[in-house]
Amino acid sequence: MIEYILMFIVILGAILALMQRDLLKAAILTGIPGAAMAFLYQYLLAPDVALTQAIVGSAILPVFFALAVYKTRRVED
Amino acid sequence: MIIDTQLASLFTAVSLVIIGIYGAVFLDNLIKKVISLAFIGDGANLFIIALGYKPGGIVYIFLPGMAADWFAQHAAYPLPFALVLTSIVIGASTTAVMLGLIIVLYKKYKSIKASKILGEL
Repeated sequence: MIEYILMFIVILGAILALMQRDLLKAAILTGIPGAAMAFLYQYLLAPDVALTQAIVGSAILPVFFALAVYKTRRVED
Repeated sequence: MIIDTQLASLFTAVSLVIIGIYGAVFLDNLIKKVISLAFIGDGANLFIIALGYKPGGIVYIFLPGMAADWFAQHAAYPLPFALVLTSIVIGASTTAVMLGLIIVLYKKYKSIKASKILGEL
């Protein structure tokens, strides 16, 4: 049952991240589908991929996006 | 449940790819385009992982006491997982390169709108 909730969180987080006008909020919301997808990989019998995805998808990529937003413009005009 | 875990995961992966293609085509901000491209890569990885899943199976670790025939019938298929492990890291590094190019474009054009950099259609 919990894997269906995780799939719903993945799709909802992806849509919410693309709907924000503040780009810093969009960068932080990118981490939610990444973390939910890491749990989903664990349920799909791939624990090594889940370890990599948990670090890359929920910590490294949002930090990269936040750094790019910091170097450019924050509010989408 | 009516649909099983594998089919629902495949639908989730296809939905992620569709959301990513929509964002990469129709959104105007360059950082949102890069976020959409990252979603496309995540959808492709989830699709391959879901293809290797076996319902009711076990994790592909051969522990002492298991019979080899029983293990070969019940373990998940491990080859796509080993390839996706490489694909995740390469996707993160290509995303970093794209963000660096966006910073260079912002220093030249003072804007991150694609319609302003490439010119209005």
